[in-house]
This record gives sequence, C-alpha cells and structure tokens, in this order.
Amino acid sequence: MNTFLLTVGIALCVLAILVLYRVVFGPGVFNRIAAISAIGTKTLIILLIFGFFYGRVEMFIDISLVYALLNFIGCVAAAKYLEMERER
Amino acid sequence: MVFRSEDVIVKTISRILVPFIQLYALYVIMHGHYSPGGGFQGGVILAASFILMLLTYGYGETKERISERLVNLLSSIGVLIYAGIGLLCLLLLGNFLDYSQLARILPVEAARARSLGILGVELGVGMAVMAVMISIFLDISSGGVVPDDTDAGDEE
Repeated sequence: MNTFLLTVGIALCVLAILVLYRVVFGPGVFNRIAAISAIGTKTLIILLIFGFFYGRVEMFIDISLVYALLNFIGCVAAAKYLEMERER
Repeated sequence: MVFRSEDVIVKTISRILVPFIQLYALYVIMHGHYSPGGGFQGGVILAASFILMLLTYGYGETKERISERLVNLLSSIGVLIYAGIGLLCLLLLGNFLDYSQLARILPVEAARARSLGILGVELGVGMAVMAVMISIFLDISSGGVVPDDTDAGDEE
C-alpha cells in the first residue's frame, strides 16, 4: 500500500510540474487561472497522501479542506478581478 | 469597487458554501488543541467566508450584513476577551494568561480551568482576527470610494 501511495504521490508531483509550465508560459490569463486551480487540487491529494504516510489522516484532512476552500475563493477572486478589468 | 456578480453558478455555489465555511471555521476554532488550527486560523477561515460573500454579492449587500460599526465592535471585543482573561489571571495572583488560576473563581479543577481558559482566549483571538480581516478587505474593495449608508451598492 505504501509503495502504491508513494508512486501516486510522485506521479502527482510530476504532473504538477507539467502544469506549472502552463502557469509560467500559458497564453492568456484564463489558462493560468485554470492551471493554478489544477495545481491546487493536486496539492490537496498530495497532502492527503502525506497524511497516510504519517499515520494522521484526520489531521491532514483538516488542512486539505482549508486548502480546497481557499483555492476556490482565490479562483473566484481572480475571475472577479478580470471582470472588473473588462468593465473599466 | 467590487460589484455584485451576475453569474448563476458563482452565486449558487457561494450561497451553498458560505454556511459550511463558517461551520468549518467554528470547528477549527473549537478543536484548536486537538488538530491543526486555533483562533487565528479559524478567524481567517471565518473571514474568508465573508470575503466570498463580498466577491459574489458585492460591496453594498455585504455592508448590510456586516457593517463597519459591527466589525469595529467585534475586533474590540475580541481583544478585550483576550486581554481580559489574561488580566483576570493576573488579578487572581497568577502570571499573565496563567489559566490554572481561573479555578479559584470557576467551580472546576485546575486542569479543566486551563482548558476553558485557552478556549476563551482562542474565541477572542478568532473574533478579533475575523473582524480585522473583514475590515481590511472592506476598505480595499471599496476602491477608495465609500458610499453613504443610504444608497450603498447601486451607484458607482
């Protein structure tokens, strides 16, 4: 089970680095926002895997819930900023 | 200034999500000594729910829900709770924030008084942090233009 989780974690880290390319070079702001949101979701799962490794899943579930909520709020805030830019 | 959002998806999700965020923030505050979190983190999550409300429903409607006056009052009360419990311990011949001295006035033993004291302090910290965060965000999102309370939200 540990090997499986380790593999999944490393794969998610590699995927997050791949998505980071979109954040840095992505054409347009929308690509960047979507990519940042995707990185947030991956980080959430990586946090949960950390929780399994340390044997304290209940603690890491709290952290990852906060991460998910703040990720959503950040996404809405970025979209709101774009909307305000367009109206001006 | 942050205006009301007209998007159905964002509005519906915010309306559903805001009570759960607040409930979760209260959980983080109350369980600060068992799990990660505590007064500051819970206060920030509580403020995040209001920030989501502000982003979705605009400056005016949020001002109706939680006014500047209420925010100032809450931040003052939070600091008062924190410093008050500390000074109460000082008056009961202990050190500042030495909760075990609260057992002299509460009908519980010292260990229980310690637990209750830290819970009270965390509630105060959470309240103050929430109010200050909301105050900062309200001031920033007004964009320097502070409308009157009578016609808030429906003009630039």
